[in-house]
Amino acid sequence: MARDQFQQNMETLKGFVIEMGELARNAIVDSMQVLRTQDAELAEKIFQGDELIDEYELKIEKCSTQLISRQNPTAGDMRLVVSCFKIAIDLERMSDLAVDIANVAKCMEKNDQEALENILKMAELCDKMLQRSIKAFETLDKEMAYETATKDDEIDRLFYKTQSQLIEKMIGDKSIITSASHLLLVLRYLERCGDHTCNICESIVYIASGQRVKLN
Amino acid sequence: MPETYENGTEIEVKDLNLWYGDNHALHDISIDIPKNSVTAFIGPSGCGKSTFLRCLNRMNDLIPNCRIEGQVNISGEDIYAKETDVVDLRKRVGMVFQKPNPFPMSIFDNIAYGPRIHGMSKKEMPEIVENALQSGALWKEVSDRLDVSALDLSGGQQQRLCIARTLAVKPEVILFDEPCSALDPISTSKIEDLILELKKDYTIVIVTHNMQQAARISDHTAFFLLGDLIEFGKTNQIFENPQEKETEDYITGRFG
Repeated sequence: MARDQFQQNMETLKGFVIEMGELARNAIVDSMQVLRTQDAELAEKIFQGDELIDEYELKIEKCSTQLISRQNPTAGDMRLVVSCFKIAIDLERMSDLAVDIANVAKCMEKNDQEALENILKMAELCDKMLQRSIKAFETLDKEMAYETATKDDEIDRLFYKTQSQLIEKMIGDKSIITSASHLLLVLRYLERCGDHTCNICESIVYIASGQRVKLN
Repeated sequence: MPETYENGTEIEVKDLNLWYGDNHALHDISIDIPKNSVTAFIGPSGCGKSTFLRCLNRMNDLIPNCRIEGQVNISGEDIYAKETDVVDLRKRVGMVFQKPNPFPMSIFDNIAYGPRIHGMSKKEMPEIVENALQSGALWKEVSDRLDVSALDLSGGQQQRLCIARTLAVKPEVILFDEPCSALDPISTSKIEDLILELKKDYTIVIVTHNMQQAARISDHTAFFLLGDLIEFGKTNQIFENPQEKETEDYITGRFG
């Protein structure tokens, strides 16, 4: 294979994105645990993890810009470099959302059980989507990316359903407004996580085929 | 292959085959080159891109044992037709080479050489020379020393002089065969700017080994490999999303 150094640098860049994706996944899973248990220590771990994720974003940015300025990537290489940069932004936002969830969740005292179950279901879907999208990125499998993005519909469905239920409950019982509005925030953050994963799937389709698609 | 062009088609090539003796060097090349735009030919050494370029003003006629079949129409006229006047063809289709090749005479005479051959009057000459040097982006640098030898100019200036010399006979098409490969980056960027300026009035075809140059200045790119035209398309598409694996391998440097 020609351009060995370039090839190595591209593999390093891909590796950073995969590692960053796993970190973002863990952050979301941990934030759900905080929601269940209000574990302040675990919340702290998420905050610290976010700093590491920010470092990964910077590493990916540096690696991408150096590859562009020194190696002039074209065609599939160019699509990969540009997309890694974009995916890193989506993953960083997802980590921020996990921090937001942990911030809200660590001080919640009581939760609406039905809403909590839906939220955990959404989080599980988010986690699966992100896991599949990382896999699709690793193998540049555009079919897997397309299929993964369809799962966002289920997240959106749960979001709207749970949002309506919570609003109805708040209208009926004003004493739950504080806790329910916190859950609404968490709902919203998870729904955004689903959207970011769709963006990642769009990037994978672009890398694999050169086609710009909207999957959200 | 793009179907229609904004400014129309300047050069139509159909089923062109070329042999050097027994060596079949170009295979069934068909391509439509758009008017008033820059078309780049890229490909590894020996792929046939320069050979093909030379077919566009019958420079291969000068090579013994070279046989060509197929059709090349420029502005709708078959340039391989028996009645074609090759001298007139090369006036219509100018060429700039890899190494600047000014004549060993003054700057003025270098430019005036072509117009004189084509019978333009002595009276018109100063204006023709100034216009050509202006269009070749060299006038400002040489206007006060038109009588000095062209060989005293720098490499980059000599190449712009050669371009100006081509422009002086008012061609329709200008063929560039690796025009910057002997030049430094500053001279290269002056030639590239000039090519972008010239495409407003001329059809430009350029052979280049510098893929970034093709990406920077061309509107369309054709990739050649082993005498075949592998892919031809808009430069943005070729460099972002080539359709053929060979093209992708070549432009990403994984060829071979």
